[in-house]
Amino acid sequence: MVVLREGMCPGLDEDLLRDLRAADIKTVEDLVSSDIEGLAQKCSVSYKALFAIRRVLLAQHTAFPVSGADLYEELLSSTAILSTGNPSLDKLLDSGLYTGEITELSGGPGSGKSQVCFGVAVHISYQLKQSVIYIDTTGGLAASRLLQMLQAETSNTEEQMEALQRIHVFRLFDVYALLGCLYSLRSGGLQQASVGGGSVKAVIVDSVSAVISPLLGGKQNEGMSLMIQVAGVLKTMAKDFNVAALVTNHVTRSGSGEVQPGLGVSWSHIPRTRILLERVEKAAAVSRPSLRSAKLIKSSRQPCHIKEEFDLQWWSRSEKGSSGKRKLDETDS
Amino acid sequence: MLCTVYILEQSSVTVCASPQLLARLEARRCLKDIEPRLFPEDGGPDQGAVVELFGLEGTGKTELLYHLLCRCVLPEAAGGLEVDVVFVDTDYSLDMLHLVSILDSKLTLLAGADEAALRSCLSRLLVVHCYSSSQLLLTLHFLETTLSSRPALALILIDSISAFYWVDRCEDGVSYTKQEEKLSRCAELLGRLLRDYRITVFATCHAIRRPAVPSSSSDSERSYLCRSWQRLVTHRLLCSRQKPGNNVAGEGGDDQEQRRHQIFTVHCTTTSSMVKASWSSSFCVTEAGVEFLLESEENKCAARQ
Repeated sequence: MVVLREGMCPGLDEDLLRDLRAADIKTVEDLVSSDIEGLAQKCSVSYKALFAIRRVLLAQHTAFPVSGADLYEELLSSTAILSTGNPSLDKLLDSGLYTGEITELSGGPGSGKSQVCFGVAVHISYQLKQSVIYIDTTGGLAASRLLQMLQAETSNTEEQMEALQRIHVFRLFDVYALLGCLYSLRSGGLQQASVGGGSVKAVIVDSVSAVISPLLGGKQNEGMSLMIQVAGVLKTMAKDFNVAALVTNHVTRSGSGEVQPGLGVSWSHIPRTRILLERVEKAAAVSRPSLRSAKLIKSSRQPCHIKEEFDLQWWSRSEKGSSGKRKLDETDS
Repeated sequence: MLCTVYILEQSSVTVCASPQLLARLEARRCLKDIEPRLFPEDGGPDQGAVVELFGLEGTGKTELLYHLLCRCVLPEAAGGLEVDVVFVDTDYSLDMLHLVSILDSKLTLLAGADEAALRSCLSRLLVVHCYSSSQLLLTLHFLETTLSSRPALALILIDSISAFYWVDRCEDGVSYTKQEEKLSRCAELLGRLLRDYRITVFATCHAIRRPAVPSSSSDSERSYLCRSWQRLVTHRLLCSRQKPGNNVAGEGGDDQEQRRHQIFTVHCTTTSSMVKASWSSSFCVTEAGVEFLLESEENKCAARQ
């Protein structure tokens, strides 16, 4: 809804605006959908002038059609696939996180969602030398853990610090703060964060369900609306700035006892790719508590329900073989 | 009576000078044969038809749209219809790379097809991204000029028409009609465009409720969008996904193989005033897009007129 204001376009002056209001035309949508001929008579303005105003306003507020050929050309030059740093996950994701899309990790407590997010952030900032926006809504981000992962990559302190600087962390704990943060990132914040490092290639929200799920339920629609707004700004940001969005979600059980991602049916349409993380419940897993299984439950590129097993310690392994000694930080939320 | 006819003729004569009518008079391609396997015999979407693809997440709605899109933009030599298409992307979900891979696989069947053939296919496609229902309305108004300048344009795809449902529900106070106003304005405008330009519209609509009991077709399948949209819809395609292990082909087959061939089912009901018919078809998705499975026995039972 765009309210008509004076000076929005040439010819739209105070008098005309008053006449339009009197004719119950208050927004651009009202004006564009109205019968121009009748309206011109009512507001005693020439048909030609009003028609010109309508055309200018329409051109200002419409989305322009782009030829598919041009769009494809642009995509070829701008799309990137960001490796997660973990071969098993990359295999599930068809070689990594695609820019311009939302990828979702869901799983119960301790299934390794946050650990995967840390690993991805470190890999993108250190290996790919690109900036990452990390939005932490649970307070679960431990800088020491990021450093630990980086130490496994390099022993050069300067390089470690550089990589840490490329990870921009936002801590916020309610949906309004999240929306505010995302809107400000979309309107310029992303470019600012790019200064001094690689450009921002990934936005990680861990977790999106922590701020949204408390609002759902009951008879109110407000929670649903806020959820779709968060989804909308993430999607437009991903497309317009060519960043990969990675979000985490909790899990619920369906009526038949099946584990499924949370946030309900309306959210299920939002992520392009969804991965379900689970602990491996096997005898062999006792000796390796960091073993997790990842199941692809939605994808447009790979057949669904393929499964991979991976070790959360992958990101903190080091070539010297000291990874076995390192205890995994299990503060996942 | 005679008098009214006369006046109608008169008024249409006066409008005749406008470019809109000229575009109207030029024959747009009829899309009745866009995908015969999807619709009951002789029940394909005629000019002015609106087809709604309804279903939960992951039931192949967007995949079907890509299939139809490819069919339209491909050259006649490759089994296409060679018409222009507008893709209105309200979900920001158009996967161009996937679309191109489908197009590629169809073009390779054609001898001598190269990069230029792909580009000419893609140039028949126009894409618009909309982020709010207001913008959708204004964009539809804007598309009118595109429609009148491109007589080859015969199809509008909207993915999805329900994208702004929740945001609208919350925006305009307590009155239900006020909340639905934007979408109903869009629907009214679409209705006029359909009449004036004789185009066809396919739109996806996300289901917002999980079926309470599996295989019960009640609340979860009912359309929840505004009345003016429901009035426009002439064909409804209910998309669903067969549970792995449920299909006959999978019996005794390799488990992995079965998963790879997830089977999707589409149930079509036409709601035009002339005939009521229903039709079922199923397909699976491969790298080359949608592949329809052979007609099964159940289909013959389902096709009643």
